[in-house]
Amino acid sequence: MIGLLVFATVFLIPAEVGAETRLRFVTWRSEAARIFQQIIADFEIGHPGIKVIQEIGPSSSTEFHDLVTQKLRNRDAEMDVFFMDVVWPAEFAAAGWALPMDRFFPPTAQSGFLDASVKANTYGGHIYGVPMFVDAGMLYYRKDLLAKYQLRPPDTWPELVRQAQFIISQERDPYLTGYSAQFKQYEGLVCNMMEFILSNGGALWDEQRLKSAVHTAKAMEAVRFVRDDIVRLIANRGILAYQESESLALFTQGRAVFHRNWPYAWEAANDAGQSKVAGKIGVMPLPAFSGHKSAATLGGWQLAISRFSRHPQLAWEFVQFMTGSETQKRIALRTGRAPARKDLYHDPEILKRSPQFQSQLETFTLATPRPRTPVYLPLSNILQRYFSSAIAIADSNIEELARSAARDMDRVLDLLRDGRKS
Amino acid sequence: MKKLAFAGAVLWIGAFTLLPFLWFLLTSWKSAGEITAIPPVIWPNFRWNNYRAAIVEYGLLHYIVNSAVVATATTVISIFVASLAAFALVRFKLQWARYYLMLLLALSMFPQIAIAGPVWRLLSFVGWLNSYHGIVAAYIAFALPFAVWVLTTFFEELPYDIEEAALIDGCTRWQALRLIVFPLAAPGIFTAAILVFIQAWNEFFFALIILTYPALQTLPVGIALFPGEYTMPWGEIAAASTVATLPLIALTLLFQRRIVQGLSAGAVKG
Amino acid sequence: MTNRQDPVWRFLLPSFLFIGLFSLYPIIESFRLSFYRMILTMPWLGAKFVGWENYWDLATDPVARGSLVTSLLFVAVTTPIEVLVGLAMALVLNESFRGRGWLRAIVLIPWAVPTVVSSQMWRFIFNDRYGLFNYLLFGSATQNYWAPLAEPGLALMAVMLADIWKTSSFAGLILLAGLQGIPRDLYEAADIDGATAWQKFRHVTLPLLKPALLLALLFRTIDALKVFDLVFVMTQGGPADTTNILQFYGYKKIFAEGMIGYGSAIAVVVFAISLLLSILYLRVSGAGIIRREPAR
Repeated sequence: MIGLLVFATVFLIPAEVGAETRLRFVTWRSEAARIFQQIIADFEIGHPGIKVIQEIGPSSSTEFHDLVTQKLRNRDAEMDVFFMDVVWPAEFAAAGWALPMDRFFPPTAQSGFLDASVKANTYGGHIYGVPMFVDAGMLYYRKDLLAKYQLRPPDTWPELVRQAQFIISQERDPYLTGYSAQFKQYEGLVCNMMEFILSNGGALWDEQRLKSAVHTAKAMEAVRFVRDDIVRLIANRGILAYQESESLALFTQGRAVFHRNWPYAWEAANDAGQSKVAGKIGVMPLPAFSGHKSAATLGGWQLAISRFSRHPQLAWEFVQFMTGSETQKRIALRTGRAPARKDLYHDPEILKRSPQFQSQLETFTLATPRPRTPVYLPLSNILQRYFSSAIAIADSNIEELARSAARDMDRVLDLLRDGRKS
Repeated sequence: MKKLAFAGAVLWIGAFTLLPFLWFLLTSWKSAGEITAIPPVIWPNFRWNNYRAAIVEYGLLHYIVNSAVVATATTVISIFVASLAAFALVRFKLQWARYYLMLLLALSMFPQIAIAGPVWRLLSFVGWLNSYHGIVAAYIAFALPFAVWVLTTFFEELPYDIEEAALIDGCTRWQALRLIVFPLAAPGIFTAAILVFIQAWNEFFFALIILTYPALQTLPVGIALFPGEYTMPWGEIAAASTVATLPLIALTLLFQRRIVQGLSAGAVKG
Repeated sequence: MTNRQDPVWRFLLPSFLFIGLFSLYPIIESFRLSFYRMILTMPWLGAKFVGWENYWDLATDPVARGSLVTSLLFVAVTTPIEVLVGLAMALVLNESFRGRGWLRAIVLIPWAVPTVVSSQMWRFIFNDRYGLFNYLLFGSATQNYWAPLAEPGLALMAVMLADIWKTSSFAGLILLAGLQGIPRDLYEAADIDGATAWQKFRHVTLPLLKPALLLALLFRTIDALKVFDLVFVMTQGGPADTTNILQFYGYKKIFAEGMIGYGSAIAVVVFAISLLLSILYLRVSGAGIIRREPAR
């Protein structure tokens, strides 16, 4: 008994007295909170004398952004590593908040990760984040319903609308709807609408000339299609207030034929415990308009180092550990979350657990990031306002709304141009 | 007839207030499938998973403890400070009393989102971020305008004779406040206390940016952390809200009696 | 009469300290920032003093104008309803009946539930497929279900309903405390004179309730202008910006877009409106804040 006490004190005291470096990691509460704990514990074992302290923020991207920027704008040195949403690198780079990681993360190392994600983390020729999780918009559909009416999964949006209408009329199920997605006035709306616009050959902006492109014919055409064909004909009115969870709930309750969502939906929809359509669903790249290619919005989270961190080297070691092959594999196996490292998509263990990754790899590789600019958030707010007004009101004047949005976007982009000159 | 109308009113008020919450309460016992069932499922299969998950996996209890500490400290100190101020404003013949009250009112009107930044910087500067004292200090400042106003309104209605007599007998102002005004103004004080407590209990935005260590986070922040990236754990949130509201209900039941006691004392005065 | 020995400062200093540090300083800072053009994500622009430019831009910003209308509409509808519902609650709770204590506790539940929770709850209730609202109206006939949060015309009303549910008890509590301060013998005297319930209400209750009514109206108005959590969770300002109240617009500018100067100007405008409305109340009601002479 005394021996144990002595033993304990001998081993405990040095740990308390020794100079312990604290690394602060600001994160959200992952669906796999426990595995994060384990991984961090492993890191600490491998790096004695370092303690990683987690600060937990909300999972909502907007709220997390508020939290993180509050610290950064006040040059808080009490934050070392933090998660970055895929649309923030340009903003954080320009504001001088994220540490450029070129010396730690050269192009040779970058090539191990999905190209689209790496590109999203690059701004002004420097790299500011290491991809951790990747997301891209996908189309989920009811395999059983399509098979019942001998329909092949749709290649084009108009075909999707026709199929949905046909199935609904044949099924005569008052609860069934054709399409479920995220059309609430928030960031998710921009993700959804960008997919329609890009797959019609349009664009949100002209990156070279720093000008808005939402008032071009192809962009407006796509928006009109969403208003007149999707919202009016095959979706519930409520789609205009859906975020991811409601739209998925509709699908897993068996009330929707087609569903646009991120990769995470696959596991949820196939979980017999909570889904009524487990085993009856398929997933594929989103349709396009004829003559154009399918487009998926890139999502996901990256790890960044704060410019005001007192331990950048240490922070990098932590980031490297978290995004290393082994850790990413552990997380992918445990949570089913799509990893950002390319080679893991050919790993037999991972593919056994999540076979859908194989077909999704191409979508991830070709996914398009949203405009990479420090002023993305103001632009997004303008776009959200425009899209919501355009598709929520049946007889909205799309030309006028688009031109007005383009004007607002240009005004914001002009500020950027002024800065570039000086 | 009058009795019927009255009973009707009671029922309506009760139903209006209770129904949404009852719905949420029922939700706390439902499984995920039952929650999102279309059309809605009213009566659940009474499972306690959500409660277990809320407490074990989401750490509900420590959020409640933090909220209790913060809200209690805020209430006690604010009411104390506000009573001092209200008493002074009402009893000491101060020329600028009206202006001070107007200033307080005006200050409470300023949108909190705008002052969030400066307050954060202030707390950061004195090293009070992520601490009970930091958040309580901010909450007291938010509660004071309202508390001072309410207490001033109630103190004003109190008759002066007893105090006057006591002062002539050599009582200090402080004793007058403690021994005479407090008991008489009890309904007002407890009313103000309840409202301050609940306001501190509910506050979200400042708690979000000031308390980022999980060990210190209060209930609103804790519950805001329940949602995953794309999932909305309605069941667990409903369970957490139920657990969180019960102590408040108990507290108010307690305070109700105090207010009634205060009333009987006041009624005698006439 | 103030004695020279009245320990004025000892009584008032604590409140001065808290208010000065955590209210006055941040507000002055916000005022100051509203005169600068500062965009956090474009630090090369620096913090340029631009005088009234932010306010001028606000006046010509159609989104801001829309937000202002939405905010004023919100206040104009919710405040009277909340005070009325609160008054009804207070009148009922002032009578003694069995279970009164319970009803009082129940009435406080909406106020006691954290706003972040009740906002989610209302979002859940207004859901267009499995929400209670639709179920109560249409039962199982889901094809008739509405989507209140998705309709530009209905979303604001949905948020208003949630707010009324949440804060009527706040008004109720203040009015109840006011009612309890009215001496019973006044009612007894009125009864002796043969007054009806309505007459008693008009001539005894209402006049003596005036200070409490004013308090309730005042604070509800101020809080209505500062509504934030409900909009943040339920609608994020949408659909089509129909619930984009001024305070939420300011939040987006400051936190999401990093346009500190512009956002601070919005905050100042909200503040100015509150101030105006309060002054209006006090003038119209004629209620003195502090009587010139102490209560004897």
